[in-house]
Amino acid sequence: MMAAAAPVQATRLPRQPGTRYPLDKSRGEWAMWLTIATEGSLFVCLFASYFYLANNKNRWAIDHPPKLHYALIMLAVLLSSSFVLHWGESQLKKQRYVAARVGLGITILMGLGFLALSAFEYMEHWKDLTPDSNSYGSIFYTIVSFHAAHVIMGLLMLSYTLTLPRYSPTSRSPYRPYHVAGLYWHFVDIVWVFVVAFLYVMPNVRVYGF
Amino acid sequence: MSATAVAQRLKTEWETPKSLWGKFATVDHKEIGIRYIVTALVFMCIGGIEALIVRVQLARPDAALVSPEVYDQLFTMHGITMIFWYAQPILSGFAIYVIPMMIGARDMALPRLNAFTYWAFLLSGILVYIAPCMGQAPHAGWFAYVPYTLYQYSPSHGMDFYAMSLILFTISMTGGAVNFILTIMRQRAPGMSINRMPLFVYSTFTISWVSIFAMPALTAACVFLELDRRWGTHFYTIAHGGSAILWQQLFWFFGHPWVYIIFLPATGMLSMIIPIFSRRPIVGYPWVAVSTILTGAVGFSVWMHHMFTVGMSDMSMSFFSAGSMMISIFTTVQIFAWVATLWKGRLVMTTAMHYALGSIAVLIVGGLNGVVTGIIPLDWQAHNTYFVVSHIHYVLIGGNMFPVFAALFYWFPKMTGKMLNESLGKWSFWICFVGFNVAFFPMQILGFIGMPRRVYTYPAGLGWSSMNMLETAGAFVLGIGILLIFINVFISRRRGRIAGRNPWNADTLEWATDSPPEAYAFVHLPTVASRHPLWDDHDEEADPSDERTLDDGRLTLVSTWLDAEPYAVASMPKETLVPLLACLTLFGFFLALVFQLMWLVLGCFLVTLSFAFYWLWPRPEAEEGA
Ligand code: HEM
Repeated sequence: MMAAAAPVQATRLPRQPGTRYPLDKSRGEWAMWLTIATEGSLFVCLFASYFYLANNKNRWAIDHPPKLHYALIMLAVLLSSSFVLHWGESQLKKQRYVAARVGLGITILMGLGFLALSAFEYMEHWKDLTPDSNSYGSIFYTIVSFHAAHVIMGLLMLSYTLTLPRYSPTSRSPYRPYHVAGLYWHFVDIVWVFVVAFLYVMPNVRVYGF
Repeated sequence: MSATAVAQRLKTEWETPKSLWGKFATVDHKEIGIRYIVTALVFMCIGGIEALIVRVQLARPDAALVSPEVYDQLFTMHGITMIFWYAQPILSGFAIYVIPMMIGARDMALPRLNAFTYWAFLLSGILVYIAPCMGQAPHAGWFAYVPYTLYQYSPSHGMDFYAMSLILFTISMTGGAVNFILTIMRQRAPGMSINRMPLFVYSTFTISWVSIFAMPALTAACVFLELDRRWGTHFYTIAHGGSAILWQQLFWFFGHPWVYIIFLPATGMLSMIIPIFSRRPIVGYPWVAVSTILTGAVGFSVWMHHMFTVGMSDMSMSFFSAGSMMISIFTTVQIFAWVATLWKGRLVMTTAMHYALGSIAVLIVGGLNGVVTGIIPLDWQAHNTYFVVSHIHYVLIGGNMFPVFAALFYWFPKMTGKMLNESLGKWSFWICFVGFNVAFFPMQILGFIGMPRRVYTYPAGLGWSSMNMLETAGAFVLGIGILLIFINVFISRRRGRIAGRNPWNADTLEWATDSPPEAYAFVHLPTVASRHPLWDDHDEEADPSDERTLDDGRLTLVSTWLDAEPYAVASMPKETLVPLLACLTLFGFFLALVFQLMWLVLGCFLVTLSFAFYWLWPRPEAEEGA
């Protein structure tokens, strides 16, 4: 017995001899949370720069406050894509793999839709404002493009998950790609909420006061 | 199963093939840790040579060894090499090498990421050194204030290299931080609850969290800089509504925590080494642990103290001044803990101990004049003079270089199985110590009598000449001391005394492994019942039914993050070239960005991406361990 051999009581290992602790499958998820933390603080820096540059300027974003229609539709698309993905993951848990794949596929299509909409948004916006117009244009386009780049990264992760040969529980890494890629996708969606609030809604509130 | 058979199986499971492929594909934390250390030391030599050229130029008034432009490039390259490519990576190197063993695990949590961050570190350093090879080095000081770094004033590619290599470096840092956090939170030996964690683990853990939140500010600052320089945006150009102060805000929001990132793990090293050579546990372990964490946390709130001379409201000035003072309390707690440990202990004056004590002495001086710069009126007087140069070197050399040398003498036996030569070591210490003080103490006086930093020369007759000559002499003496350390390493690696497992009779788990350790480190993964597993009579190897050998795959235990109760077994990846390949293409990506070759940028991006896909793709069954 272990306890007899060890003079100081060692931490007990609560398992039957001959059996093994389960395989750890949460490494990727932890790493993803930390990635989200650091990416989140990247966006905090971007937003802080936005407000820092806006500070003490009475002509910030008021000539042509960004139009809301595209941004809000995009918000709706992105947020509902999160719900679709969530549904897909719940199917995965019930081992309905085809449904899970379908959910993933729809999410990707919605993400692509988001990118298409943002292309239109850019085109409309570009007439009034370009990154080299002034500091407002610079930070505005940088934040929006950073977000778009994150959407693209998220889409790549989702597409990778879509192409994986099988979804059944596995003892090979990646253990839970669906979940991990999904976390990132939800994160990207939430960032867009802040982008819309800070970059789109707030200037309009200031100008039109609704 | 017999013990040797188990060891044999573990060996075949874990050992990297000794082939050329193995060299590039290895994911072994011991190999990678040593590479980090060696690479960082090479960067230190390069940075040191640049500093010596600077000192030769300044030795006499009106010297003309280098032109003003080259002088600017030299001190800038010296600063960034030392701050980014030496001071932090060397600490990471030691941490990567010892922490997995110290906490009783077989590797870092993400071994392939570990390889990746090493290559990214190396290649980012190479990237920044392409610039001086093209004769276009960055030249605006290590913190690269705008507007001087904008295109109008710095049209050469130097600042582009600066921005791009730092972004690549940030990637490496962040990856490393993720890896440390996962390793420390999940892989501690059964029983190593957080109140038993070695203090070096505490400090690395703290700075990893700090890095996660601080590095993005540097990324953002560098992205804005590059966009302003080459893509016509106006973040920093005042005429178009930008703000030059934005750079300073972002840079110091990163930069001040960075000072702790390169300082805290070094204090962690001291907290390991001093108790060992005082032959007693450290005094006030919980206080040291808590003040380590608090230093990291409060380090975020003091960044503005670098900007007192910029001008800001009185309220915010007082706030940041108070923050700066508060931080010195936490550092003082650590210093008192060391002094008390020394006081109550029986000292063994090894070379490592010499360096540790030397660093405390230097730190006290450096810390005292740090308080001076925290006091606003004095800061106004001393700002941008040689006083600051003196201060940063007292802090960086006392708070980083000496502890690193102590750590080198302390852990070298573990890494190579050979002891470093002690008498040569003590000589090197005294030469370094004297040289250092001769080189940097007169700078304080020079600063107060008005010699500004970053001037390429000065006229005779200001009363600065003799002290400058003295400093240069001191710098060379310091250089000789460092050279002696390298000579010691080269000789002792071959001919040193055999170290054995635990030559210092130390208390932490890495000393329970062979010297040098086997690839799998422990035959039986250890358990822990106190803060000093090798000092108490708890029998590490008591595992009669081979429950903790985990020899059927590359496996290590996973435990809960507070109490370290084991709950799972993690399977570790094997050697692979993908981290290296992905890094090379990423390097190409940033290099192409420097020259705005957008098709190449896109190409490199796509190739990097496909490597990432391959990296994450499930391995075929045959390669599978568990
Ligand atoms: C080998 C011994 C060293 C010598 C002789 C040395 C010498 C110098 C000198 C003379 C300067 C001032 C240049 C000027 O303002 O004109 C300087 C600046 C600096 N040094 Fe060192 N140094 C040494 C080691 C280090 C180390 C180990 C570090 C960091 C870990 C470091 C970090 C810096 C930084 C950050 C600057 C400021 C660069 C700037 O102005 O942007 N130095 N050094």
